[in-house]
Amino acid sequence: MTQAILLRGVSKRFAGTTAVGDLTLAVPSGSIYGFIGPNGSGKTTTLRMIMRILLPDEGEIEVLGSRDAAAVRDRVSYLPEERGLYKKMTVRRLLRYYGRLKGGTLPELDRAIDSWMERMELRGLHDRRVETLSKGMSQKVQFIAAVVAKPSLLILDEPFSGLDPVNAQVLKDAVLDIRRGGATVVFSTHDMETAERMCDRIFMIFRGRKVLDGSLEAIQAEYGADTVRLRTAGGAAALAGMPDVQSVNDFGQQQEVRLTGDPQLFLAQLAARTAVYHFEVTRPSLQDIFVRIAKPATEPCEKS
Amino acid sequence: MRKILIVAQTEFEALVRSKAFIAGVLLMPVMMGLSVGLTRATRRVADDRDRTFAIIDHTGVVSAPLVALARMAGSAALPGDGRADGPAAARFIPVEVKADGRHPDDLRVELSERVRRGELFAFVEIPGTVLDPGGDARIQYHSDHPSYATLPTWLRATANGVIINERFRRAAVDRTLVTRLIKQAPVDSLGLFERDASGRVKPAEKVDDARAFGVPAAVLFLMFITIMTSGPALLNSVIEEKMSRISEVLMGSVTPFQLMFGKLLGSVSVSLLLSAIYVAGGLAAAHYWGGYASAVTVSLLAWFVLFLVMSILMFGSVFIAVGAACSDLKDSQGMMTPVMMLLMVPIFMWVPILKAPDGTMATVMSLVPTAAPFLMMLRISLAPGPPLWQIALSAVLMAMTTGVAIWAAARIFRTGILMQGKTASLGEMVRWVRAS
Repeated sequence: MTQAILLRGVSKRFAGTTAVGDLTLAVPSGSIYGFIGPNGSGKTTTLRMIMRILLPDEGEIEVLGSRDAAAVRDRVSYLPEERGLYKKMTVRRLLRYYGRLKGGTLPELDRAIDSWMERMELRGLHDRRVETLSKGMSQKVQFIAAVVAKPSLLILDEPFSGLDPVNAQVLKDAVLDIRRGGATVVFSTHDMETAERMCDRIFMIFRGRKVLDGSLEAIQAEYGADTVRLRTAGGAAALAGMPDVQSVNDFGQQQEVRLTGDPQLFLAQLAARTAVYHFEVTRPSLQDIFVRIAKPATEPCEKS
Repeated sequence: MRKILIVAQTEFEALVRSKAFIAGVLLMPVMMGLSVGLTRATRRVADDRDRTFAIIDHTGVVSAPLVALARMAGSAALPGDGRADGPAAARFIPVEVKADGRHPDDLRVELSERVRRGELFAFVEIPGTVLDPGGDARIQYHSDHPSYATLPTWLRATANGVIINERFRRAAVDRTLVTRLIKQAPVDSLGLFERDASGRVKPAEKVDDARAFGVPAAVLFLMFITIMTSGPALLNSVIEEKMSRISEVLMGSVTPFQLMFGKLLGSVSVSLLLSAIYVAGGLAAAHYWGGYASAVTVSLLAWFVLFLVMSILMFGSVFIAVGAACSDLKDSQGMMTPVMMLLMVPIFMWVPILKAPDGTMATVMSLVPTAAPFLMMLRISLAPGPPLWQIALSAVLMAMTTGVAIWAAARIFRTGILMQGKTASLGEMVRWVRAS
């Protein structure tokens, strides 16, 4: 399988701080790859390096089989996290501009613009000025701007943040369609459920280092079947003082318990204390794994 | 190159549609129209108050003719307003005051009081020695309106007329004869002779102020207005892209240099369009009002275009660099001040250079790259124009400076547009330029 993105030993430092250290990563062509990690852990820096907006201090980056940024720039689209549009331009002129910068020709672009506007439920807004659009509308216009020239590799930094559920679904469907069309999609997200549901592979970066990389199954296997989801008459209080309990994630009616010992032994002990309505040995959720890796250190490590 | 042109085209369209451009096109004609209109409208109503002033005449012979002259001329004393159709023309009303045994100082204080109370506008003291041709006596004019110059000006002319007449009379000399004897021969300022196609000598044309000074002034200010319209527009466009985070999206499609150079080219084309509109309008007006269009030659226009293009690239680069280094519009105002001063310096020098276009100062200053587009253009438009080597040297120096400015701005731009939240100091900008 060819790789859409290949990073070998990539490092980037800013004023003495290592933003990304010795990162090696391969994103297979045609996959949806999720980047996760706490704020300030190096996601955006990595994406910017892939886009060659930043140049790495060390290491090699290959995008679509080329080390020359200019050669493949037109086939790679990037939607940054903090994104803006020209307020005074009309939607059509804006999308044409972004599309032409990616090498699109006008008749071809106009067709793509029409079909995307339809698809994104922005019918008839072609000649509206961007400043008159609602936030959700302009986010969708930004997305169209990134995909209108049919990129082979689409890189999205937090594409779904700030969208209402309806619009988020429209965008997720669009991303899946683009992958179906043969493109590779890399996106970063804070929403672990989205990452779990959409991504073929997940990559987690923490303090500039790779801490997870693989399919969800592989990651969950690595982190073991040591989580138990349960509902009991006694609730979280019943768990107090029980042996083998590493941590409890209390949802109120339901608790998620991470164990260090045998789940069956734990069930027997729990049943002796309180009535057990529901007991399920699960794989840890991505959210759980994320928190397990990042929690001890995130609080003092605020994004500066 | 294709991407540079796409950026340039988009920038051009955005600028031409912007209010600043429309304002730039309309600014000069509207301002000129307004100032002419206002001058005309206010001339009549600006000064319509009668002014009574007292005269203490120690000669005893000046005040009577002065009063008579004021009454006779009426409002004609006020320039331009003496016509009979004037609606509310102001007059000067002199009133003679006698000392009547009072001490001169008492009289002076008393008259000062009356001026303060508004009964009088001013008072004048004419010393007795004023009729003595060998003396150096001065007329004393007292008023609490030091900025009002019309009355003292009128007094100087009218009172001196009376005084000189009296001196002639006392010396028994015929004044009209003297006037005829000392009449001056005027100097006509003319161009050079040449032979026309049929070999006849064409008479030298009279030098026309509009041609001699109007065209150079128009060239200088057109250059200034065009740069002033396009430079800040570039800065705003960079700051807009930076603040609304458009730059990062664009960086995914173009290199910083492509983006910057596209902006510069867009700005150059807008400037050329703006100047073309002005030049065309100016030529049409010149043709309509007096056939001055011939004063604008092809070579003048060619040099203008060359210097304009280079100065937009040079100053535009500086404005772009400032925009990229600033995090908001307010910060950019402070950083723009030195650039603006650099732009203003040549404007302050244009009058001395107009008077001596071949002088050392003119020659040196017109070679300085930041002043060249203004001052060299001024010299080119002043006949007979500087030697070609000076124009070429100044163009080459400016081209080199432009190259350096674009190079340095590209480096500042590359780093600056992705920086958020903080305006770079000059030191940081220098470091960005030197970074590899």
